Amino acid sequence: MLRPTVSRLVGWAVSAVICFAAYPPNRLTAQGLTPRDSALHALNRLAYGPRPGEVDSVARLGVMRWIESQLAFERVPDDRLAQRERGFKLLDYGREELAQRYGAALRERRQMQREMAERGDTSRPRGAGPMREFRELGGELQQLAVVRATLSERQLREVMVDFWANHFNVFVGKGADRFLTPSYIEQTIRPNALGRFEDLLIATAKSPAMLFYLDNAQSIAPGASPPVLARRIRPGTAPRAPRGINENYARELLELHTLGVDGGYTQQDVIAVARIFTGWGIDRPQQGAGFAFHEWAHDHREKQVLGVRIKEEGMDEGIRLLKLLANQHATMHHVSRKLCARFVSDEPPDGCVDAAVDAWHRSNGDIRAVLRAIFTSPDFWAPQAQRAKVKTPLEFVVSAVRAAGAEPDSTLRLAQVVGRLGQPLYLQAAPTGYPETQAQWVNSGALLGRMNAAVALAAGRLPGASVNLDDVVSATDDHAGLVDAVNARLLGGTMSAHTRSVILRQISDVKDPTQARTLAVGLALGGPEFQKQ
Amino acid sequence: MTISRRVFVKSGGLALVSLGLDPLFLNRAAYALRRPAPSSAVLVCLFQRGAVDGLNMIVPHGEPLYYRERPRIAIPAKDVVDLDGHFGLHPSLAPLKALWDNKSLAAIHAIGSPDSTRSHFDAQDYMESGTPGVKSTSDGWLNRYCRHDQEHAETAFRAVAFGPQLPRILAGTSPALAIDDLQAFGLRVPQEAARDKLTRAFEELYEGAATGLLASSSQEGFAAIQVLKRVNPAQYQPANGAEYPPGRFGRSMLQIAQLIKAGVGLEIAFADLGGWDTHVNQGSSDGQLAARLRELGLGLAAFAQDLGDGMRNVVVLTMSEFGRTIAENGNSGTDHGHATAMLALGGPVNGGTVLGRWPGLDPASRFEGRDVSVTTDFRDLFGEVLARHLGAQDLATVFPGFTPNPQRFPGAIRS
Repeated sequence: MLRPTVSRLVGWAVSAVICFAAYPPNRLTAQGLTPRDSALHALNRLAYGPRPGEVDSVARLGVMRWIESQLAFERVPDDRLAQRERGFKLLDYGREELAQRYGAALRERRQMQREMAERGDTSRPRGAGPMREFRELGGELQQLAVVRATLSERQLREVMVDFWANHFNVFVGKGADRFLTPSYIEQTIRPNALGRFEDLLIATAKSPAMLFYLDNAQSIAPGASPPVLARRIRPGTAPRAPRGINENYARELLELHTLGVDGGYTQQDVIAVARIFTGWGIDRPQQGAGFAFHEWAHDHREKQVLGVRIKEEGMDEGIRLLKLLANQHATMHHVSRKLCARFVSDEPPDGCVDAAVDAWHRSNGDIRAVLRAIFTSPDFWAPQAQRAKVKTPLEFVVSAVRAAGAEPDSTLRLAQVVGRLGQPLYLQAAPTGYPETQAQWVNSGALLGRMNAAVALAAGRLPGASVNLDDVVSATDDHAGLVDAVNARLLGGTMSAHTRSVILRQISDVKDPTQARTLAVGLALGGPEFQKQ
Repeated sequence: MTISRRVFVKSGGLALVSLGLDPLFLNRAAYALRRPAPSSAVLVCLFQRGAVDGLNMIVPHGEPLYYRERPRIAIPAKDVVDLDGHFGLHPSLAPLKALWDNKSLAAIHAIGSPDSTRSHFDAQDYMESGTPGVKSTSDGWLNRYCRHDQEHAETAFRAVAFGPQLPRILAGTSPALAIDDLQAFGLRVPQEAARDKLTRAFEELYEGAATGLLASSSQEGFAAIQVLKRVNPAQYQPANGAEYPPGRFGRSMLQIAQLIKAGVGLEIAFADLGGWDTHVNQGSSDGQLAARLRELGLGLAAFAQDLGDGMRNVVVLTMSEFGRTIAENGNSGTDHGHATAMLALGGPVNGGTVLGRWPGLDPASRFEGRDVSVTTDFRDLFGEVLARHLGAQDLATVFPGFTPNPQRFPGAIRS
């Protein structure tokens, strides 16, 4: 079962009593930010944008105190989200059950294909039984991420889950990852999102989803063969050539997960890492496809990685290597820089990266300490960082829904909107994940898509969102007052004079106050200011 | 000549900057001037997702082994549309025979990836990233081509993928449009007047308040809307009596033809066709694969007929992630194999021949004892088309880690 148990939640809360150092009181004012400016900035980066009134409430509380509470997320009550999560069947199924349901869907598909081929029907089989059910579970996986991002009070944690799920990307469209990804998110990423990097790294390395996605499950020592011949060889086909090591996971582990492409490793290191992970595999899917170490597949010879001798220790070699990698300076720098690209700017200044690396050294890789160093670095609050980043499609959709005081409805459609705008969740095939930079997201078709989504949301027609603008901005004949309210309540006061005048002109001939409000909100959320964070 | 014109326009733009003219005006003026000549070369890439059975598409009917290995699914010799005595077209591709005869259609056999994966996911990824064996490449080779060759970069319709999302092959930093349907591109408001008003409002918002990439991309989008208003996709009538097959693929081909004729600066078009993963009941002259090939053949033939003389600047290239086993399996289908066949169609194509070195089907020459061996690296074909048809200068940046060698080009483009 994927749902976190109550006792585990309590465990987190108890272990997370962290003392915060007092922040230099004058740092923010030194940057020339008003309390509202700084609240908006923090809500744009540590959260999926402000809900109506939230800029004020965070400013009143004090932005640093709010950031502290987000870091200590276990103490933030999140009852409404918990209630919504109960509607997700996906969370009631464990890996084994999902595997069985996937198997049933495959059998239905094969059966349908056979029948359709006999009829000469070449359309795509769309089964109504197990296939349909499994498709819906896949939709639930995406929708759950959108619902959590929109509704959770523990916003920073959701942002970090998204960051790590993307850093340690898996592709839900690849074979067994269709049923392995849900537990990857629930049990590998979420519990470790604000923990220690080393634990997260080890958890991903041992996760069946990653072992399958990057083919490590197929990587075996040259010449090794299983103790019993597991595969029956089909008559008429030649037996498969003996497989050897597969370097995919090893390469991505070094290049993407830890050291970074310029992290100073060689092809010889990649091969040695691949040999260390030979034997790290998956149990048979029927038994739930859990992690298994296959002694027979392991390469028992000595290895050397980054100049360090790794002596023969079976599975422990891999653990030792992951700890070694987690504590390399190159890893700290690579991951810190990526965090700064998420939280500060696409090309982050050295200052915040260095601060994050220092905190990493000092805290032994405590992700909260690293984040705190970023959020207290002058670069984070610098004027150049304000609204410097373009929102990803997920950030755009979720922030627009939040800004409009809306909620995801009980369908799976809001996640589909995110997908149509270019970021189908868990469907990035390349192990790089989605980039942290704007070039991926900004193109003309995508921008038009955002304008359409904004207009639809304002009109209450966005699929998957239930909206009630009356709770946010009242409809009024006073157009100037209306636009000012839209600016204050939805844009956090960022509306430019130009945008204000264009919107005023557009609504000037609209008699009906509700229609004027719809148009003003649509233009504001689809306009250039709201694309930035 | 076209190059010098573009250089002139670019340096002319710089000169205007130094005169201190209004930047908005400058953008507009430069944009208007930069429209390329409508006669530019076009490449249309079609991805047969799922791994097409190259042996039943371009049939080696001259090889007894072909019939021995496929007792239930081989195309009977009497049905094959013979091409050269050894190879022939699947009967569903008969509409393409005239194009073969007029030498605008070529087939490339035994082509594929140097990577041996039999995973659809990995193999498609490699064919689109253009870096077989390297998974971390974040962009696609068509996008890298666009980035490296900046001459057309300013037109909104330079690179268009037909479908809801930008495919991996066009992903990257160079602008590319994903269009599900030309008729639905733009703001979705039913009444035209209201749509124009809303479009104008957003255009003004972005002109005045957007900077950087947001500004340039929105400008491209609104320019594209303007162009489409003129092109008026809803009213399009194919020429020369061309009839596109019903369905998504036919509609994509029709809209590609329409964009080419409209002279909007289209250089790269991309579309997908699925349904090639024929593990079970693949069929022979009729059946599952036959139906998919019929749609492909009718779509390509209609496209060539519709464009008519316009095909002189167009190359259509089909591709698929790998081929299928030489022997049929126990379910009258085929499993994942290695090399497959691709088609090249268009005026610049060195048509009327089956290109590539044919390794034969005998067990000694097979890949891992079961599949057609790859004798042409797909990058040699793609590279040749980019270099000889589109005039790409630096293939090494489009296919990193690969040194393209014109001597290995299969010869798909007439020199």
